[in-house]
Amino acid sequence: MVERLLDLTTLGRKAKSALALNCLLILAACSSREVVVEGTFPTPVVDPVPVSVGVLFTKEFREHELVDDATGRGEASWRVSTGVAQVDFWSTLLPAFFQNVVFIESYEDLNTYDVDAVFIPEVVDVQYAIPLYTNVKVYEIWMRYQLSLVEPEQLKDDENQAITTENAQPFVQWPLTAYGKTPTAFLQSDTDAVNEAAVMALRDAGANFITSFGRVPGVLDWVANPEETQ
Amino acid sequence: MMRATVCLLTATTLLGGCVTANIDEMTFDAPVAGMGEGSIVILGRRHAPDYDTEPDFIDCIGGHVSRGDAGISVIPERQFIDSLYPWFEPRTAPLSIESVDRLMTVPSVANKLGELDLQYMIWIDGRTEDTNSSGSMTCGVGPTGAGCFGFGTWGTESEYEATIWNFGEGSEVGRMSAQTSGQSYMPAVVVPIPIIAPVQDTACESLGNQLLQYLSAEF
Repeated sequence: MVERLLDLTTLGRKAKSALALNCLLILAACSSREVVVEGTFPTPVVDPVPVSVGVLFTKEFREHELVDDATGRGEASWRVSTGVAQVDFWSTLLPAFFQNVVFIESYEDLNTYDVDAVFIPEVVDVQYAIPLYTNVKVYEIWMRYQLSLVEPEQLKDDENQAITTENAQPFVQWPLTAYGKTPTAFLQSDTDAVNEAAVMALRDAGANFITSFGRVPGVLDWVANPEETQ
Repeated sequence: MMRATVCLLTATTLLGGCVTANIDEMTFDAPVAGMGEGSIVILGRRHAPDYDTEPDFIDCIGGHVSRGDAGISVIPERQFIDSLYPWFEPRTAPLSIESVDRLMTVPSVANKLGELDLQYMIWIDGRTEDTNSSGSMTCGVGPTGAGCFGFGTWGTESEYEATIWNFGEGSEVGRMSAQTSGQSYMPAVVVPIPIIAPVQDTACESLGNQLLQYLSAEF
């Protein structure tokens, strides 16, 4: 109703001046939008794949963020941090999807845990669209991942006693796309809507991962013989 | 004067814009003595590119059914979707009852659905949107006070279809639809007075009543 009233309103001169001043102040404060994606993620209902997997979240993955600087008048700069939510989401999904999961955080972990492979997710691209740009009444987020299964030995840098992904040759590597959208709603801010779309995109990533995992070339052979395939 | 203004405001606020509703129904195998034990879930379709069936509309229908017959157990939509993640996400949600049969081949999903004792799954597809709008309003602020003068009007249309799946029989047992439209008005003489047409609420009530007639022995 208030939205409708504002649409219909033609203001007097004094009110217009006051409103213009307010708008300038508001625009100065709102020229940049920051979203730290947060949400709650359910544990998937699946029959676990009978393999033992180490999970490595790289620094880039943990700290991933989308930065989009404004290029024109009336546009806002956006910074969408997905890293924390990515780790939160995949940490919920993977232990339910694989029979045994350990999280690799150090060189010692690679030596301690006997795993069939190390799973490394990487965010390749994130894009967003808001109604201001598209004239469609939905907020949208696209994500593209590159997922890899690597032999644990390939991640060891024995000289420096550290983990390295530089020379690792994954024995299975595949892309994964995800999409989330949320419709416009009265009194919902842009940042809340983008957050909700990002949460939907993460959930979609999980749905796509679970339903497509068995169709990835090489995966079924590896699951059947985890030690021989590599 | 004050009393008259209050009375005018109360009267106009209580007035709603007019709503026209068209309902249609085609159902089979209605449970003669009501659905009895078990539960139902009402889910919104969210796979269209340009709209989502509104979650609050789904909640509205669920609430209407629960209030109409306390014996019908309605599982909240969000709770159901989360408890069966990822099988009812926009990408994976079954589009036909045959797809549910395939889903039941996953043992953990079949167990979870068994725990929920689900009798009927009801899918709602549709949306409410504003159509035409016209009119203008002028507002002013001065040393002696503020006020508005003018008139605005806009139309709203809802179109929803419910599809009922009988889980026990593994078949689609009915389709119902509700199309509602209405015109809202906002005259302003000093104070804007909204006269809102309850278009979505009418669609909710219409579909909720049709579902109650199908599922409940009391209704």
